[in-house]
Amino acid sequence: MRTRSVNPVANIIENGALLIAFVVFAVFLLGPAFYVFKGSFENLSVSLISSDGGWTLNNYISLFQSGYFIYVVNSLVVCITATAMACTISLFCAYCLSRFRFKGRGFVFAAIMGGQFFPWIILVNPIFIVFARSGLINSQIGLILCYTAFITPFTIYLMVGYLTTIPKSLDEAAIVDGASRFTVVTKIILPIMWPGMVAAGTFGFLQSWSEYLLALALITDNAKKTIPLGLYQYFGDVQVDWGAVMAGSVVATVPTLLLFLPLQRKLVSGLTAGATK
Amino acid sequence: MTISPKMRTRMTIFWMLLPTFLILIGFYLFPTLYNLELSFTDITLLKLKKGGDFVGATNYSEFLTSSTFRDIAINTVFWLTAISVTVRIVLGLLFALLLNSKFLKSMRLTTIARLMLLVPWATPPVVAVIAWRWLLDPTYGPINSWLLSSGLISDPIAFTATLSTVWPAIITIIVWNTTPLIGVSLLAALQTIPEDLNEAAAIDGATRWQQFRFITLPYLMPTISVLTLMSVIWTFNNFVYVWLTTGAGPGTFTNVLATEVYMKAFIDLRIGYSAAIGVTMAVVMAFFGAMYFRYFGLTDMQDKVG
Repeated sequence: MRTRSVNPVANIIENGALLIAFVVFAVFLLGPAFYVFKGSFENLSVSLISSDGGWTLNNYISLFQSGYFIYVVNSLVVCITATAMACTISLFCAYCLSRFRFKGRGFVFAAIMGGQFFPWIILVNPIFIVFARSGLINSQIGLILCYTAFITPFTIYLMVGYLTTIPKSLDEAAIVDGASRFTVVTKIILPIMWPGMVAAGTFGFLQSWSEYLLALALITDNAKKTIPLGLYQYFGDVQVDWGAVMAGSVVATVPTLLLFLPLQRKLVSGLTAGATK
Repeated sequence: MTISPKMRTRMTIFWMLLPTFLILIGFYLFPTLYNLELSFTDITLLKLKKGGDFVGATNYSEFLTSSTFRDIAINTVFWLTAISVTVRIVLGLLFALLLNSKFLKSMRLTTIARLMLLVPWATPPVVAVIAWRWLLDPTYGPINSWLLSSGLISDPIAFTATLSTVWPAIITIIVWNTTPLIGVSLLAALQTIPEDLNEAAAIDGATRWQQFRFITLPYLMPTISVLTLMSVIWTFNNFVYVWLTTGAGPGTFTNVLATEVYMKAFIDLRIGYSAAIGVTMAVVMAFFGAMYFRYFGLTDMQDKVG
């Protein structure tokens, strides 16, 4: 049912304009990633200025021969440990927040909401000094502790949202049967909220995987560097080893792309949930 | 001795919350307070063990009256934050509206578009900077070679080393990396608008613009506000884009508060002075944080759990 007559020519022009706008957006969004991907398989030797074309795996081979593998391992160790710790801590905290009312509950809420936006640039100095005095500079333990603290507020936030969908009657039945709260969390709640844990964990992993500032301040030993730091090893003072940088970038991004795919919708609803009511 | 059930519950809450409290105190509260203390001393990286001497507010007065303060403030507030947040909100809105249009929906492009948005979104900031430095590179970069071959320019432009192009370059990188989140969030909000509202308005003779202005925009406003405030807080403190794109250069042309904090502490080794800049930033952020809490923060989470 239309009240205005639609001019077919105007319609075609309009749809054409929409399609062109879509293509422009597509090029903007995908172009940079495409060129990095393409560049990582091209012959771009620093010594030979011309890129004489041809597909090659040399960038990847020389990348891993130059020790990039260490950075990948370091990143995996630090990020997986920090994520596991953050998820464990968050599970119990989120359970408390969703099941009990207690003094200081409002404070914990405020701290968790504030923590998500806390500017770490401000905390770098004090943390550096404390770590320097306690020997945690150039230590993976130090970095793991920082990342755990860094991702915990958001993982708690995501888990609280998930826990409220689980009825309290479940825990109460178990309590009546004589189970302790810890048993309830580990044996009853955890199996049900597994999807929520995975989502929160994926998010935490992604956050720490791309973290740069803390790693830059706390790690100077090449053998301890994570991927974001390692990538910038290839930016020399005079010349950039573009081939290695591109290959390294692809290696750094593929895991995040794969993890992001199932997580996308959840993150959006988590981030703006309060606004769309 | 038996423990009453109430006491047992209290013990349970205590143990379950303890790790979170340790994190909040050890990594948020204590460093914030310690940073405040440092900002009143002349501590440097070279005399870490000994500690600094109390110097009152000299660090603050030195920073606020320094010749670079004005430039850093303008760079941070105007270029890094205001411009980049505005651009990404506008682009995100345009993209969401585009994907929500009847024609593109009928062509079933929405799923493809979601996947497209995923690429810049999932790219770590470090890699986003690399991608654009490569595109903009004067020797190898595709953008320079197009411009050269199309005859628009006769010499390659070093985009990140030229004063007139360096801020647009940095903003492009931030926008590329962060607009998808805005776009996807706004698209989700757009899809909650009841279809019949627009239809009814159209029957009453409302133009497309009027429908957008009086139906769509008011519906989106709460989401736009959250996204804007979140982006402002997040961008104002951001270190990684400016640092990796230009290293605050050429010279100190693109220096922002975050890079100044880092350089003063880890290059000039003046931790106390750097801490004072950090505290200044924190004060500004506390204002935006308070706004966030006032409008969205606490209510959102408490609504969830009651």
